[in-house]
Amino acid sequence: MPDPSSEIIYQLKNVARVRQSNGYAFSLRVPSLRIQRGEKIALIGESGCGKSTLLDMLAFILRPTDMDGFSFHADGANAVDIGAAWKKRRRNQLAGLRKKHLGYVMQTGGLLPFLNVHDNINLSRRMLGMKDDGTVQTLARELGLSRHLHKLPSALSTGERQRVAIGRALAHRPAIVIADEPTASVDPFAAEKIMSLFIGMVEEMNITVIVASHAWRHIKQLGLRRLAHHTRKSPDGRMTETVVSG
Amino acid sequence: MLRQKRQILSLASRDYFHEWQISICFVLALAAVLGPMMVLFGLKFGIVGSMIEELVEDPLKREIRPVGSGHYDRVWMDKLRKRDDVAFIVPRVRSIASSLSVQSEASSRILHLEVIPSASGDPLLDASLAAPVGMDRVVLSASAARKLMVSAGDELQGSLVRTWRGRKERVVLPLKVVAIAPATAFKRDGLFASVMLVEALEDYRDGHAVPSMGWQGTAVTTERSYTGFRLYARSIYDVAALEDSFIRSGIEVRTQAADIETVRRMDNTLSAIYWAIALIGLGGFSLSLGASLWANVDRKRKELSVLRLVGFRTGEIVLFPLLQGVYTAVFGWGLACGIYLAAAWSINAMLAPQLERAQKVCRLLPEHYLIALGITLGAALLAALLAGMRAARVEPSEGLREL
Repeated sequence: MPDPSSEIIYQLKNVARVRQSNGYAFSLRVPSLRIQRGEKIALIGESGCGKSTLLDMLAFILRPTDMDGFSFHADGANAVDIGAAWKKRRRNQLAGLRKKHLGYVMQTGGLLPFLNVHDNINLSRRMLGMKDDGTVQTLARELGLSRHLHKLPSALSTGERQRVAIGRALAHRPAIVIADEPTASVDPFAAEKIMSLFIGMVEEMNITVIVASHAWRHIKQLGLRRLAHHTRKSPDGRMTETVVSG
Repeated sequence: MLRQKRQILSLASRDYFHEWQISICFVLALAAVLGPMMVLFGLKFGIVGSMIEELVEDPLKREIRPVGSGHYDRVWMDKLRKRDDVAFIVPRVRSIASSLSVQSEASSRILHLEVIPSASGDPLLDASLAAPVGMDRVVLSASAARKLMVSAGDELQGSLVRTWRGRKERVVLPLKVVAIAPATAFKRDGLFASVMLVEALEDYRDGHAVPSMGWQGTAVTTERSYTGFRLYARSIYDVAALEDSFIRSGIEVRTQAADIETVRRMDNTLSAIYWAIALIGLGGFSLSLGASLWANVDRKRKELSVLRLVGFRTGEIVLFPLLQGVYTAVFGWGLACGIYLAAAWSINAMLAPQLERAQKVCRLLPEHYLIALGITLGAALLAALLAGMRAARVEPSEGLREL
């Protein structure tokens, strides 16, 4: 096995997503991006700059409009050509990768309203046929959700729901967790607590994490690597281009 | 992948019952269209069905009788008997010769009975009872049996009178009652006898000898000609064609074809009206079911996006709305059956005094319920499948952020 510190998990070359509507054009370009196993990546910027677009592409739920190379190394050795999978419309292959290797925390919940907290956290584990080994209970305890396990999401506060979403993203021990502004909808004090808890947990589990946020100060303290990006607007404001590198 | 299919089905069920208020609305919307359609069909089926049944059950409606008297021979009769659309045919002799005075031990009266030629399989007689055979076994009409105070198994004495070579003669004919005909079959005083016996009565009256009975007379009849016949078509639907074939061969006949035609035309008219309403109803029904299932998938886009995000395959995602469609179809159908049964019961109870015995104005056969279920399931699955496929085609990142 190669040195884990240099093990690459994502490798992107000239990946872009261009969207045009009503005469406005938005584009997100990634000339080159490598993410290594165990890295903690932060994507900082105001809303509308394309953070979610990049995260969705990294989660294989948004198809890049252009790509020279997009490979994903799930378990070190085998590289999966994501670009080819998109081009050949292998949606189920991508779904299989998400199921096994990915956890995703959305800005607001993304929980299934008809499942209680326990079943929401257990969703991916059940899909993978993983045994009930107390993982859900342990996660719930760490996330302070033990007494809510049998409640439906509608009975929880926003912060509690975000913690359930974190639990669901981690429960099946994925290789990567992607979080899109996971604390944007809770108050700043709770946000810092949840973010610290989240980063602490992925560190402990040695999970690669990519998190988007607009608050850098706190993230910096948690030791995340910031992806450099800059956003340009054309003088008439009709074109927005964001270039990410790292 | 079976595990994931089971899991998505269980998720769809939990969602359906979690959102029970909305599910009830879908079920009600479906039953509100399907229930009345079932009542409508039940009425059409019940009304026309009982009219047709009445026609089919009544042998008199299948009878074809010649007008006046003619000359028919045995060969011609046999040819008719072989036709598929003829259920029963026996020859008739001159009406003047087909009567008999009868006396019983129980009653002092002498009754003058009309003699009706018959045989086994006579539609007027009860098929489960014995048929008239030979020279002595006969069936009495209900009114004759009442007047003679006899029942099946009793003996009778027939008496036959003729004037032959200037002398008045009389023979006595011992008879045995093997059955009593149903009261509806023949209203007058009558005696059903075998063709052989009827022929013997005619021969005796005409002065011919009847060797089997030991009756004297002129030479035995060899070439017999009949004046008429009793003919019943196989079913009411064969009457018109038979009538045509008689008319073509120059025999004037009287039938109930006009009556039958009226009912059939009514059936056609009612069927046309029903199908017009049913097609409009079915259109509305499919649209309402399709629209509600389509809307449901649209409403569920967020949940379906989450399911795609966590890695369910396209084929599994489609199962989600599909199962919910099945639930709506089955529950809606069940409720519609309930609505139908309640409506049918009230309609039948309301009209019961005006109906004969077990007649029902509104009724459905078990297969009709199943057909209704099949149509409902088909429409529901189609709508849910189309909507589900559309949902599965949308890029998974879309719809996610709405949550």
